[in-house]
Amino acid sequence: MEDITLTINGKKISCQEGTSILNVAEKYGIKIPTLCHHHDLEPFGACRLCLVEEEKTGRLMASCVAPVAQDMTILTDSPRVTKHRRNIVRLMMAEHPESCLVCSKGNRCQLRQIAAQLGVGETDLYPIPNYKRLEQANPFIIRDLSKCILCGKCIRADHELVVVGAIDYNLRGFRSRPATVHDLPLKDSSCTFCGTCVSMCPTGALASKNTKYVGTPEREGLSVCGFCGVGCSLTMGVAGEQVIEVNPSHRQDTVNGATLCVRGHFAHDFLNAGERLIRPMIRKDGELISASWDEALEIVADRLLNIKRTSGPQSVALLGSSKCTNEENYLFQKIARVLLGTNNIDNGGYSSGQRLLRLIDEKTDGGCRIHPLEQLEKAETIFVLGANPDQSAPVVGYYLKRASRKGVTLIVADPRQTELADFASVWLSLLPQSDLELINGIAALLYQKKAYDPSFIDRFTEGFGEYGDGLSSLDLERVTGVTGLDLDILEETAGLLNGKKIAFVVGHGILQQRYGMQSIEALFNLSLMTGSLGHAGAGIYGLARENNQIGAWDMGTAPHALPGRQPLNDVLNSDTARRDWERAWQAKLLPDQGVNVVRMIEEAEKGNLKALYILGENPLRSLPQPERVRKALASVDFVVVQDIFPTETAEIADVILPGAAFSEKGGSFTNMEGRIQTFLPVAPPPGEAKPDWESLFLLAAKIGYTGGNDSLEKIRAEIAELVPMYVELDSQRDVAWVKETSKRKLFDPGGKGGMIPFSSVVSTGDEVYDDIYPFTAILGSVRYHLGSGTRTGYSDRIEELGLKGEVEISPEDGINSGLRDGDMVRVLSPHGSLERAIRLEKRLRKGLIFVPLAVNANDAMNLIGLTELCRPESPGWKTCRVKLEKL
Amino acid sequence: MRPEKIDWGRLASIIEKHRDEKSRLIPLLQDIQETFGYIPPKSIESVAEAMNLFPSQVQGVVSFYAGFSLKPKGKYVLRCCRGTACHVKGSRSILRVVEKELGINEGDTSPDYQFTLETVACLGACFLAPTMMVNRDYFGKLSPTKVTSILSEYRKDKEEQ
Repeated sequence: MEDITLTINGKKISCQEGTSILNVAEKYGIKIPTLCHHHDLEPFGACRLCLVEEEKTGRLMASCVAPVAQDMTILTDSPRVTKHRRNIVRLMMAEHPESCLVCSKGNRCQLRQIAAQLGVGETDLYPIPNYKRLEQANPFIIRDLSKCILCGKCIRADHELVVVGAIDYNLRGFRSRPATVHDLPLKDSSCTFCGTCVSMCPTGALASKNTKYVGTPEREGLSVCGFCGVGCSLTMGVAGEQVIEVNPSHRQDTVNGATLCVRGHFAHDFLNAGERLIRPMIRKDGELISASWDEALEIVADRLLNIKRTSGPQSVALLGSSKCTNEENYLFQKIARVLLGTNNIDNGGYSSGQRLLRLIDEKTDGGCRIHPLEQLEKAETIFVLGANPDQSAPVVGYYLKRASRKGVTLIVADPRQTELADFASVWLSLLPQSDLELINGIAALLYQKKAYDPSFIDRFTEGFGEYGDGLSSLDLERVTGVTGLDLDILEETAGLLNGKKIAFVVGHGILQQRYGMQSIEALFNLSLMTGSLGHAGAGIYGLARENNQIGAWDMGTAPHALPGRQPLNDVLNSDTARRDWERAWQAKLLPDQGVNVVRMIEEAEKGNLKALYILGENPLRSLPQPERVRKALASVDFVVVQDIFPTETAEIADVILPGAAFSEKGGSFTNMEGRIQTFLPVAPPPGEAKPDWESLFLLAAKIGYTGGNDSLEKIRAEIAELVPMYVELDSQRDVAWVKETSKRKLFDPGGKGGMIPFSSVVSTGDEVYDDIYPFTAILGSVRYHLGSGTRTGYSDRIEELGLKGEVEISPEDGINSGLRDGDMVRVLSPHGSLERAIRLEKRLRKGLIFVPLAVNANDAMNLIGLTELCRPESPGWKTCRVKLEKL
Repeated sequence: MRPEKIDWGRLASIIEKHRDEKSRLIPLLQDIQETFGYIPPKSIESVAEAMNLFPSQVQGVVSFYAGFSLKPKGKYVLRCCRGTACHVKGSRSILRVVEKELGINEGDTSPDYQFTLETVACLGACFLAPTMMVNRDYFGKLSPTKVTSILSEYRKDKEEQ
């Protein structure tokens, strides 16, 4: 691109060819009004407000779509330009209803702002209000198209950013408007209620529904979304002490840009739920009664110390939170390890396959910790396995769909035909739990064709020979048998992967399945073989379900790892990590690995667990076999629950400590990319509730801790000082990245870490299915809920949606079982049952049943066995065998 | 044309014919309109799938052009001109006569799918004002009696069938 020079408002400017006049002007601080332009959208030229005058020719042109040219002389606010702009605004206003007084866009209406700036008061035109349909038959969005100025931002955001395509312009002239297919209400269209259009709408045509406060918020604050692991950057509007609206933040370097999903945008109304815990509670004579903080903390400290003294530190366990901040998790595990002397600490990330991701970290020695999602759009090839991000982490779904639209080859392996499968070059409809065979099969085909990266393998890996032998002796016929896929489609997939660096995106389909560990190992081999590691836009992207699942692990709320993912037990390196921490904390640390969350329940059943401290988790709802978990926890002498809601778990607690939600405290979250985002409180906690770090500190002090940590800044500074991964964490900046500390040759050419080893090829065992349970049930997320749905369940808007969570079945199986849409069925597994309505879903294959999670108090967990703890710590909670009974 | 049950096989073959064309959407829609007399709303999804577009985009194009219709039309489509010249020559009364004669309003189709009544901005035959078209035939210098006799011609046509 050549550099060219032009003059804007008498100012000489040089810039690159190919950009628009508007972009150049903006870069040089010259403001041009516009209603239809957005930096994330393609230029469109709909509103014409950005028109400017070329002085020499006298031409007026829309600067957003007019490219710069050599020697242009541009005037952005000549009298002529202003006159035309005013006329455009006058015409828009003549068509606009005079409802500003009650319009929720209030002072943020851009039409109103621009009219004010241009001095347009009365239009002096005959008003012809364009009365169009008002739609509000859904819990989230009000569409009042009479206020629509046809800028097309909603349509373009829908097509270009979230790639759903629910709406487009319909009709023309005066009748023109955005509409769904067949003009259906949004609720019945393909709209996902991500609300991106609502945030982008310059007028009041699109507004959030069910707001307790209409108008401009009193103040706004930046925060980070508290739902999934994407970690979207938010602007929260606050009135009084309540968050009344949520929008994507205006910053441009965020993971989500101008998008959000339905949870992030609308489900945060849980923050204002009347059920929030507002004061500490203690159990007296079987009843929970209010208590002062001092009283409650005194009891917690006393009982914990007492139990530690009488039954030993192994009888105490702590469950940290994948939703709480890094600082809180750090403090929590420090309490466990230093003050209570136990490694019995875990977090909710267990069920999302934390152990599996740890495998990659171990193999690369901490070399693959950063996976910027934006690189997916520049990837060579994307291979999605067992992930349905459209529902589970929608913003990741947007990235993948955008990549596909830009021409990136997308391969999707999923037993279900997900929305994403429609965007894929190849959809591999494999049988459940057969990913391992699929991955090995593809690797074997690539090996046959010598389609691997020999120079990468030579320089950075070891053990390829043995791995190759394993691949050549792989029985491809068995692969096709186990996966249910033809050899042709496997060949086609291998052809697409040939010679490419691959970005693997894995979700719970792998991370939660029985053969998860082996699948991840196989995937790691495949990524080594294709040279996909250490390469931008390639590698293994693990979807994180919870907002700070990665951070909780990094901070050491894990039975096997110290902060910074350092091993507790590492005899080969003479336990350097543990020794360092002992010095730093001036305490003796137990070398034995603690118990994970499932083992905690088992230990409780055996009577070995006497005290359990649960921070921001709801195991009675999120773990399998809730009744069994309830019984187990009932047998624990002393249970403390620190949460924001009276959850199922809180109800059986001996002490409840009210916490603050993320928007009510400061802290930092680490997202699935490895991006650490710090944030400040935007609203105060309700009642007497305290930020969790504060109550944890108070507790630590009661237990007898005197080592500082009494402010967020001090905790943060300690993390930055002691955790090599988090050196960039400080209060000065709000975005930092974790550090990759690997010494392996691939990441550090001069490093002493050596080569990355291939592991050997293993296969799944042959499954023998019991005929009594003829179907395989797949448990999966729905976009309206997160995880087990504790928080989203308290959202009025999600509640109003009235999700029934219909169990899906293929039409063929449905007809064979004499079932029709809406029939009630009982789904039974060897572990339990649930009752729901059924829906025949033609996108589902025969033999499968889909059970949505989170709805009905997450009763889907009844079906899964808690002890189905498969080979090394894969949760194995993704699928189970079931039968159906018509009710 | 009375809407018959849509022959989905035929629709699929039309879509296939255009699948690999360049600038293919409008020719495809024209082909469907020609074959079925309208664009069956249910065909939007399959057209979108074949054209690699969102269904909403296809509907946007269909609803933009007056030449495409999502509703089945009558055997005879009447287009009364409401342009300036015709207006001056009394086209409003002509339209009323037609509406009264056919018992349907502007934009509607008679229940027996014989007639559809539309208005257009100009038929380009102002020297014949007031004018109207029935399918592809022009009628000019209309008067109420002339309208009645033209319509009875088409009705007779119906009775003969």
